Amino acid sequence: MVKRLKRIIAEYVDTSQFPINATVREDGVVILEGEAPDWKTADELAHRVAKSKKVRNVINHLSCDGKSLAYIPKKELIDQGRALGTLDEADVIIVGAGVIGSGIARELSKYNLDIVVLEKGDDISQGASKANNGMIHSGNAVVPGTLKAKLNVEGNAMYSDWAADLQFEFKRIGSFGLSYNKKDRHTLWLSWIAGRLNKVPGMRFISPDTFLEMEKDVEVRPRRVLYAPTTAYVDGFEVTIALAENAAMNGVRFHLSTEVVDVDVEDGVVRGVVTDRGLVKGRLVINAAGVFADEIAAMAGDQFYTLHPRKGVIAIFDKEKKGPDRSLNGRPYVHQKNTKGGGVQRTVSGNPLWGPNAVEILDKTDLSVQPEDLDYVMGSGSVVCPGTKRSEIIASFAGIRPADYKEDFIIERSRVVRGFIHVAGIQSPGLAAAPAIAKMVEELTADELGKLSRRGDWNPIREKPVVFSKLSPEEQERLISENPLYGHIVCRCETISEGEIVDAIRRPIPAVTFDAIKRRVRATAGRCQGGFCGPRILEIIMRETGLRPEEVRKQGKDSYIVAGTIRDRCDEADCCETRASAGVSEGIAQETGAHHESD
Amino acid sequence: MKVIETDIAVIGAGPAGLAAALEASRLGKQVTLIERSDDLGGILQQCIHDGFGLVRFKKQLSGPQYAERFIEKLKASDVSLLLDTTVLSIENKVIRAVSPREGVLEIRPGAIVLAMGCRERTRSQVEIYGTRPSGVMTAGTVQRYINLEGYLPGRRAVILGSGDIGMIMARRMHLEGIEVLGVYELMPEVGGLARNVYQCLIDYDIPLHLSTTVREVFGKERLEGVRVVKVDKNRRPIEGTEEDIACDLLVLSVGLIPENELSRKAGVLISPVTQGPVLDESMMTSVPGIFAAGNVSIVFDLVDYVSDSAEAAARGAVRYLDGQAPSAEPLDVIAGENVASLLPTQYRVDYVGDELSFYLRVRKMESNVRVTLRQGKRVIKSKKQLVVRPAEMVTLTLSREDLTLIEPDTPLEIHIET
Ligand SMILES: Cc1cc2nc3c(=O)[nH]c(=O)nc-3n(C[C@H](O)[C@H](O)[C@H](O)COP(=O)(O)OP(=O)(O)OC[C@H]3O[C@@H](n4cnc5c(N)ncnc54)[C@H](O)[C@@H]3O)c2cc1C
Ligand SMILES: Cc1cc2nc3c(=O)[nH]c(=O)nc-3n(C[C@H](O)[C@H](O)[C@H](O)COP(=O)(O)OP(=O)(O)OC[C@H]3O[C@@H](n4cnc5c(N)ncnc54)[C@H](O)[C@@H]3O)c2cc1C
Repeated sequence: MVKRLKRIIAEYVDTSQFPINATVREDGVVILEGEAPDWKTADELAHRVAKSKKVRNVINHLSCDGKSLAYIPKKELIDQGRALGTLDEADVIIVGAGVIGSGIARELSKYNLDIVVLEKGDDISQGASKANNGMIHSGNAVVPGTLKAKLNVEGNAMYSDWAADLQFEFKRIGSFGLSYNKKDRHTLWLSWIAGRLNKVPGMRFISPDTFLEMEKDVEVRPRRVLYAPTTAYVDGFEVTIALAENAAMNGVRFHLSTEVVDVDVEDGVVRGVVTDRGLVKGRLVINAAGVFADEIAAMAGDQFYTLHPRKGVIAIFDKEKKGPDRSLNGRPYVHQKNTKGGGVQRTVSGNPLWGPNAVEILDKTDLSVQPEDLDYVMGSGSVVCPGTKRSEIIASFAGIRPADYKEDFIIERSRVVRGFIHVAGIQSPGLAAAPAIAKMVEELTADELGKLSRRGDWNPIREKPVVFSKLSPEEQERLISENPLYGHIVCRCETISEGEIVDAIRRPIPAVTFDAIKRRVRATAGRCQGGFCGPRILEIIMRETGLRPEEVRKQGKDSYIVAGTIRDRCDEADCCETRASAGVSEGIAQETGAHHESD
Repeated sequence: MKVIETDIAVIGAGPAGLAAALEASRLGKQVTLIERSDDLGGILQQCIHDGFGLVRFKKQLSGPQYAERFIEKLKASDVSLLLDTTVLSIENKVIRAVSPREGVLEIRPGAIVLAMGCRERTRSQVEIYGTRPSGVMTAGTVQRYINLEGYLPGRRAVILGSGDIGMIMARRMHLEGIEVLGVYELMPEVGGLARNVYQCLIDYDIPLHLSTTVREVFGKERLEGVRVVKVDKNRRPIEGTEEDIACDLLVLSVGLIPENELSRKAGVLISPVTQGPVLDESMMTSVPGIFAAGNVSIVFDLVDYVSDSAEAAARGAVRYLDGQAPSAEPLDVIAGENVASLLPTQYRVDYVGDELSFYLRVRKMESNVRVTLRQGKRVIKSKKQLVVRPAEMVTLTLSREDLTLIEPDTPLEIHIET
């Protein structure tokens, strides 16, 4: 095998200039080391190696300009955590509160198990689960025979129950694949074949006329249309918060701002984890850390994959912009590998959404948006919505797909240590597959811990928070009489009342940052982007939590909203005086009002 | 649900709403003034600098002082006030509002004056790339944090856009001990009034960079810096001119736009010229009986004109209620040469007011020009003006006699002629 790998490498890279070393482990895992000419090459090479026969997976330690994806232990935090002593103890420790970790937590909360979820962000869902297309794919865009394909189709079917129990916004209205010419016809046939093999229900070709009838705002007439009626739409964050809240209601403990920095393993058995806030003891660690899952695996001494961050940028438009309601996969003008097309769709709240693109990057936390990203997104969207200007974009953001080099989900018990389950490489369609992934992990948990006993008092229902603007006047009247805060509108763009913001702060997973509130109730997400309601939200957070102004955050520990109070400075003797005299000098020159006019 | 019947409902109690309510009340109508916040005066309450009221009162007042002149009169009038009351919708001229004390209110007026003011353009309306950290905010938000709440929004600030609020806040921040590193303006000229360049920037050694913009922001949690770049005459970045500046606050002063949320819900047409409702000579929208005043109609430069426009709207509403509203088919008023924005955009020849003011903004600076209103080849009114600048509104006032020159059928045009 080593020879074959050498050939693959030599075919692609000039090894005289860039000596690249491939080691094959006993378990079939290949480790790549050395300096690569650039990250694109390094990434492509790892993919080629992963495709080679008998390779279980690839650990990519190739570096570019001194940077690589190799795991470096955070020594200081490990020492700090150990010194702090025990933070918590449980049967099951779930690392990461994305849609996957939260889904698993909720699934396992049915049983007599003590469960904690550890999340390094200051709110749940700090990774891919908050920055995606929200599409519950039908299953015709995944390679047949993969775990992804199986769990995608199963997960899609399970969403109706999730939506009913957890009361998140859910629209099952289908999606289209379109072709405009001979070249894309081929791609469309491939998705048809994939859909057939993956057993996607109800998928069929429909006439362009039927399509134009269903999507009245689409002007460009396609040649062929593949319709997948089971495709649905959600808000990934809302699904995740609903799962987490329901899990919390059923006794799961969430520790936010708690980063797992090491895994304690004794004699091949997991004993718990080390976090920056202390030790958490437990029998089973479920690794759902998104794009950092390879690092958690390394901490447990069982890394057999590298997760390479693949950035995707999405653009959002104003609700009033015309466009299709369902996802259209209008073949992008530049074909990019490894994205499900990047098309045009609408979010569940009604905003047109375009993108994403796909760019391999080296920094797992790089969420910046660059002009090239939007060039791509605008280009792919313009195939179906011609004439759209970049200035129409009201928000753009990036998400990071956690992909391994096999480009499939990795969901399995560790073969090396007892008490460790990998749930890694959950890239798209991870959101769609989430219910099926949770089920699968439930079975793996029973394999690890033995037969699980069900709780008698499990409550699957999570009540939807009040959305004041959607209520009838009678219901609004009743609510205000019970709690006058609902009569106080804080966010004018989205008509959000103070009552709803206070609710968000007081729910099972409290929202205490600007972004946490924005994601739950959409305050600051509207046209004014928080310019008007920001100061009021700051006051409300301070009142409800007792935080000082400079302690209130947007998202992340350094993201203060204001740096302090001016009154602090006012003790300085001459400060107020300066200000008063400035007020006088602010007088305007006589020229004003005169406006240089003469009739 | 409480139902209130009234002659005229005014939505918003900034300078526009206050003036409209007072004027309508003076003309004998029963007026209900609805305001979302719990005090009167609108945006003026946070504008503690002076420079308000020169035209109307021949005096330099601060924002709150200007407002106070109207508030005192209002308290003596019989206008009924609904404070802490937010209007949610207007349907068939029925207003639905909520307040913590009264619950849901239904207000059924004979006529409505919209006076909700304007809002600031945000990061999403300018092309800025990079991350989404905290520390990027509009000048109005900074103004509120500093002037009303007493908070320090940051320590090292860069300002994008040389609008008036941005320049005024540059000075305010400087005085509060915030290091103001510079004001960057995309256009080759200043966006705000010339006086503010002197009094807010030059006097405090705050550098102004024209034809330069902020292209990218850095920082994963809090803003850590910005990349500025010079632009060519087509406003495209010039490669090689990038410069990175470390700062923790980016203040956006990139323009104001009329608040249209409610206007749209009420079904009024929005003008691509003013970006506010299409209005006729008596400030009536495309929905009969709904009027607009102040910055909800067009973004004015001076608050004095805001008050004037509001009084005109109130008179229009009163005439409408009395059944004397002009009813001829409206003529269009067209924004001609070097006219970017214009009010009103429609005129009815059977209008019987005393005089009529046109308010306009130009696209580019020009000197020694004539502001001319024509109908076909005929000049209705023309005046000389030394300079016109985009930041300063130009007014053209027609007397009763001038108005008689206008004939039916042909659209009117306003040009800046060199
Ligand atoms: C642009 C884009 C578009 C997408 N579109 C779709 C789509 O339309 N449909 C679809 O099905 N899928 C889509 N996906 C994929 C989908 O978003 C992901 O598969 C899914 O969100 C993965 O969820 P997760 O919980 O595994 O990961 P994440 O949501 O990334 O959650 C992982 C969590 O772990 C935390 N964490 C990490 N390290 C640690 C640590 N050491 N200690 C504690 N906590 C830690 C992180 O802070 C994070 O909150 C898209 C992805 C992207 C990027
Ligand atoms: C942030 C900011 C700062 C400014 N600073 C200056 C300055 O320094 N100098 C200057 O000359 N001009 C300034 N302006 C321009 C200023 O808006 C005008 O000079 C003037 O205040 C406009 O008066 P107005 O009555 O039209 O609007 P506003 O003063 O904005 O008043 C509108 C009122 O309507 C209320 N309202 C809105 N929607 C509703 C609703 N749905 N229900 C109930 N009430 C509602 C608001 O609460 C507000 O009180 C500023 C504008 C802004 C946005």
